[in-house]
Amino acid sequence: MKQLPIKRTAVLVGSGLLAAGLSWSSVADQTTPVQGLYQHNPNLIAFTNATLVTEPGERLENATLVMENGIIRSIERNNRAPQGARVIDASGYTLYPGFIDPYSNYGVAEPGSAAPRGRSGTPIYSNERQGGNASNSAIHAEKNWVDTFQPNADQAKNYVAQGFTTVQSARLDGIFQGQATTVSLANTIANDAIYLANGQHFGSFDKGSSTQQYPASLMGSIALVRQTLSDSRWYAEAAGLQASNGQVEFNAALAALAELSNRGLVFHADNEQNLLRAHQVLNSFEVPVTYVGSGFEYARMDDIKATNARLIIPLNFPAAPQLSEQYSELDVSLADLRHWERAPSNPAALAEADVAFAFTLHGMEKAADFWPNLRKAVAHGLSSERALAALTTVPAEIAGVANQSGKLAPGFRGDLVVSRGDLFADGEIVSVWLQGEETKLQSMHPVDFKGEWQLQAMGTEFTLNVSGNGALQGKLSIGFSDEAGDNDTSVKVANLNQADEQLRFTANLNDLGMPGVFRFALTQSSLNSLQGSVVDANGQTHPLMAQASSAASAENEEASAASANAQAEPLISRVTYPNVAFGQERLPEQQNLHIRNATVWTADDQGVLENADIIVRNGIIRRVGQDLSTPRGYQVIDATGLHVTPGIIDEHSHIAISQGVNEGTEAITSEVRIGDVVNPDDIHIYRSLAGGATVAHLLHGSANPIGGQGQTIKLRWGENAEGLKFRETPPTIKFALGENVKQSNWGGANTIRYPQTRMGVAQIMQDAFQQAREYEQAKRDYENLSRAERRRTAPPRTDYRLEAILQVINSERYTHVHSYVASEVLALMDVVEQQGFKIHTFTHILEGYKVAKEIAEHGAGASSFADWWAFKIEAFDAIPQNMCLMMEQGVLTSINSDSNDLQRRLNTEAAKSVRYCGMSEADALKMITLYPAMQLEIDEYVGSITEGKHADLVFWNAHPLSAYAQVQQTWIEGRKYFDREADLQAREAVNAERQALIQKVLGAGEEAYRGASNGYRQQQPTWHCEDNHDVWLDWFGDHHHGHSHELGGTE
Amino acid sequence: MKKVIRSLALGMAVASTLLAGSATANNIVPGAPQSAPVLLQGGTVHTVSDGVLEGADVIFADGKIVAVGNNLSAPEGARILDITGQHVYPGFIALDTTLGLVEMEAVRATVDTNEVGNFTPEVQAHHAYNADSNVTPTILYTGITHAQIVPEGSLVRGQSSLLKLDSWNWRDGLEQSDLGIHLSWPRVGLNTAWWERRSPEEQKQAQARQREELAEIMETAEVYHGARESGVQTRIDRRWEAMRGLFSKEKKLFVHADDRRQIEEVLAFNERHGFDLVLMGGRDAWMLADAIAAADIPVVFGSPYGLPARVDEAYDTAFSTPARLAEAGVEFAIAYPGFWDVRNLAFAAGNAVAFGLDYDQAVAAITHAPAKILGVEDRLGSISVGKQATLIVSAGDALDHLGQRINFMFIGGREVDLTNKQKELYEKYQQRADSE
Repeated sequence: MKQLPIKRTAVLVGSGLLAAGLSWSSVADQTTPVQGLYQHNPNLIAFTNATLVTEPGERLENATLVMENGIIRSIERNNRAPQGARVIDASGYTLYPGFIDPYSNYGVAEPGSAAPRGRSGTPIYSNERQGGNASNSAIHAEKNWVDTFQPNADQAKNYVAQGFTTVQSARLDGIFQGQATTVSLANTIANDAIYLANGQHFGSFDKGSSTQQYPASLMGSIALVRQTLSDSRWYAEAAGLQASNGQVEFNAALAALAELSNRGLVFHADNEQNLLRAHQVLNSFEVPVTYVGSGFEYARMDDIKATNARLIIPLNFPAAPQLSEQYSELDVSLADLRHWERAPSNPAALAEADVAFAFTLHGMEKAADFWPNLRKAVAHGLSSERALAALTTVPAEIAGVANQSGKLAPGFRGDLVVSRGDLFADGEIVSVWLQGEETKLQSMHPVDFKGEWQLQAMGTEFTLNVSGNGALQGKLSIGFSDEAGDNDTSVKVANLNQADEQLRFTANLNDLGMPGVFRFALTQSSLNSLQGSVVDANGQTHPLMAQASSAASAENEEASAASANAQAEPLISRVTYPNVAFGQERLPEQQNLHIRNATVWTADDQGVLENADIIVRNGIIRRVGQDLSTPRGYQVIDATGLHVTPGIIDEHSHIAISQGVNEGTEAITSEVRIGDVVNPDDIHIYRSLAGGATVAHLLHGSANPIGGQGQTIKLRWGENAEGLKFRETPPTIKFALGENVKQSNWGGANTIRYPQTRMGVAQIMQDAFQQAREYEQAKRDYENLSRAERRRTAPPRTDYRLEAILQVINSERYTHVHSYVASEVLALMDVVEQQGFKIHTFTHILEGYKVAKEIAEHGAGASSFADWWAFKIEAFDAIPQNMCLMMEQGVLTSINSDSNDLQRRLNTEAAKSVRYCGMSEADALKMITLYPAMQLEIDEYVGSITEGKHADLVFWNAHPLSAYAQVQQTWIEGRKYFDREADLQAREAVNAERQALIQKVLGAGEEAYRGASNGYRQQQPTWHCEDNHDVWLDWFGDHHHGHSHELGGTE
Repeated sequence: MKKVIRSLALGMAVASTLLAGSATANNIVPGAPQSAPVLLQGGTVHTVSDGVLEGADVIFADGKIVAVGNNLSAPEGARILDITGQHVYPGFIALDTTLGLVEMEAVRATVDTNEVGNFTPEVQAHHAYNADSNVTPTILYTGITHAQIVPEGSLVRGQSSLLKLDSWNWRDGLEQSDLGIHLSWPRVGLNTAWWERRSPEEQKQAQARQREELAEIMETAEVYHGARESGVQTRIDRRWEAMRGLFSKEKKLFVHADDRRQIEEVLAFNERHGFDLVLMGGRDAWMLADAIAAADIPVVFGSPYGLPARVDEAYDTAFSTPARLAEAGVEFAIAYPGFWDVRNLAFAAGNAVAFGLDYDQAVAAITHAPAKILGVEDRLGSISVGKQATLIVSAGDALDHLGQRINFMFIGGREVDLTNKQKELYEKYQQRADSE
């Protein structure tokens, strides 16, 4: 930041500076008995001649602010100080309300060092119960962090240096973290620092230091939030009553959360997707919430805006990716390049969208980057008014102290920031007042002696030029000059230094006609003048006066005006949906279509129609036939030579999932929902479209017997997570059998979870079904109680885990069962038949051919790999003729991918059944269209080219099952989501944008690499069914435990 | 492709005890030596060396092709096979596989792919090759007659051999031993994957160390070779001994490298060394096709079905790479590295056709090109007089799932029994379906 020259700034004359150096407390502790003498220091302070920004948009010039006992007593426009006040002349200074950081861990106890998690030790499945705590150790809502609060001068420094006076603080650890406290950063006793003892609850998805296994995935965390919020509602009703299974337990965490609707919640979301995910669940419980954002909000601004929530935004602008070496760009994505360029404009974009937001220091690598980054945000269009609101009034609301902080007003806390110049342009904070006490960051004396001075001493006039950054240099010449360097002779001064706010130098004046070496010393006397003395060659001392040259001042003013008006360069990156390469500028429009003269593979009873036409209206197939006439206004597609098939449907996919495909910690996790973690940014959505897929059933992994709930999506590339969901699909769930669920390949530590055998798998399933039945009965029993009885009885607690299983046994939620060998398949069918329901679809089912008859009798479908085998023991009897044998025996059979790669070419996967066992081409096509649609119970809508179904269509340039077929276009409901021609153009556009951004980074030189190293999104891995590890450990909890690259299990 | 144990953890020991009997032999009898001439009559013959002949005949005797052409007359005592409407191809050759070294990926006891340490040039893949694997017959079933068996590992892995997949034991199956040394090129660039915890600086240092290690190995190997040649060195070091063939040009150097920067380093490396070098993998070879062609280095392209290596890459980058290499005049073969999934090799070549590769070049990429790259084109890889009678007869287009049905396979004139464990299970359970 540019230092202002002395000439145009004010000099404070008065006692304020002196006072700052002393340590006395203006507000005494009110309850401690006094030992020794009572102290009554004067504590009335008046800032006069000040510019006051009392709140965003409110500015008073030449005003007086009076503080007493750490509270603002009055604000006067008349510029008069009250009698007896310590007067601080603030001419040329601007006073702002002290800044408030609503998301901090200042002064509260830190978690002990976390024990190593993961697979190295024996897994911990339960929480140690103490004093009414929650059953999950990531839930500690009962904590009131005020109880541990102690002011911490060291920690406070980073905040105060940026102008913060107040923080809302809690231990940032776990899912429900407890109640924050809002405190002053003043170096005083805790009692005086506490502004609001109990502020908002804090929360996040990260289980933090918890060593308990559950949850290990994002969807697990979301499920735990949902269950806990539900429990707290239940507890509010049930506490103190008797439930069917005994007296309701005491639970301090749930009791605390019952207050959530009054207190509010500050929830930390890692990125804009997690913010929206959090909102889905929190909003359903009407939790008043403020989100800690990420800086990525611009990528989904409309959705963020729609939450109507306040945000807390870190100003963590990333350093540019390293690009200086040739080809280093190969490791850099367009998404990261875009974010590098656009991050500083995120605050302006939020303001533009009228989202209320505060700033936080949290998450910044270097606190000192805060102001440079904030000014960068201003240069990118954020108004200083909004910026100030984000530091004062908005966080005051969030932190519950709007009645005492965030403004300069009588009765408000004496917390203020003194700035030289406009803080949002090129000003700088010179001091911060906390509860009426100054923390001096730099002298309100400007100590910049640079420039041109006119000196008078010993009856002679000199011109002194001081220049240089860091080490100063000086030149001395005879006579005044308004134009530097114009003098005939000059001498270089020596020993020039600036210390104790004094400028000192020596000069040999022989060349100026004054023999000897003279020693000079100067201090500031007023705005534009210095005074001091000079000792001549004889040891005589002479007074010395200096005045700033007027020409130099004018120049400096210009320069600073230029810097204040600095505007950021226009942005060259695009924002697309999603904001990655090949994202959409806008969502495709629905078109009414007349597709002409195609070879139409209907995948229904009509088989293959040559030279056929299709009419599509409002996204629905209206007619299929020959020589149809074009309705008015319809788009005609000449499909001569092309083949058209229904969109491909994948029964088993793990694309588009964020932060964990398995909540594989506990044996039963039916409460977790893939639908909570759909990732619309996944490039595999687009790549699968390019392979003709339009529908994917996203499944939980196979790490436990009863896994999570599935989510069917349409590959509507560009839509948000909710927009991808195929709403008409009935609920599904993943079950799993065999090696994975009995943890065969998880290492020696993982041998304590029930079940460890296929015998146990059957039993735990049986038990789950039984418990769900009893749960249902308990709910029914409660409903049947008389009103009086109900008053005395605790209502049954909603258990999302059992709710899902109850749906399963009531045939309202369809099972997709990961299964390999004949024995386990028969066992499961046996178990569920006893319970009176049916398995819906066996997935993988590699030995399905051995028990095809039994599967057909049971009525289950089967969805398999085309030809995978030999990767583990339970896959060693797999055969590529499996599909034929199952289909021949009446099993509804499909082919799935379970692979991001294969999902792009399911057509040739289906063709393998033609290859290996002579399946008809019509049946092979149905295995990837109609039959999976039937398995997902969506065949009413999709799966064939049949009148009345969705117009999900794929255009191929050759026989769609042949190795030579290439997808030309993919349509979903009359919207074109993939077009080979457009893709070829998009490649050019992606490349051009990449090159332009790379040039921008390189052009910015070293400046580009200033910034946070952790500012980019983690790319989601390619999930597989069996990827099972703790995402909180792997992604976020890596600070303590070093490297731990554990995945669990094998295919 | 399914890569099985993705576990990076050391502690993830697989319960190997589970599988005492997994490596049990298959019960398929290898083909007997050719006893009578064979006349294949009226097929579409993909000679590879001399184009495609329609309605053509092939005669082979004593394991060698004796005539190719139209309307050939049958030699005395010949077995005549009418293959009208069917296609004849040279046997497909699968490069860069671990066939016979792995039976079941998740069971350590059945895996013989990686020797300990990162400098093991002495190991010879055929020593661990299991001729009685249950996997290899399923590979034969899709038209593949030969496979290059390659040790895995980091840096200097060991030596590969070419085996015919229908044999009594590896010695019987050995078509060409000790083809050359396999080298995994040191990593380059920045790993941004989620599991990578090392800083960019740490990664760079690790890479620099590997490059230094490689340079040292090459220098020592050369010195050792010189010292042995001149008789100065009398004591034998099996490792350096194995490397000598590189300098005498008796052995090839197969360098596994995928990233553009690696490939550039490989090209520069060989400018200095002038080895008989083959680039294996070559995922980014399309970016450097002209330079590779100019350096006259053959490429064994190993990711014909690969996902794009980078999020910003076009979806079909891997699919269209063979066409780009062909266009630039690069000598290349298509491989499908792996074991059980190698059977998709021909379909992968077909997929390259969907993305621009000429059909005949696709056939050559899995027949003649591999034979030439391995230096066995004098006997394998094409259908011409004097070559080994190693060929397949497919009902239809063998590069397409819809056409491939291998009706006959001959390796050196021996007719191969195309049954396999999977087919047998299929037939067994068909009987259950039929009987109930």
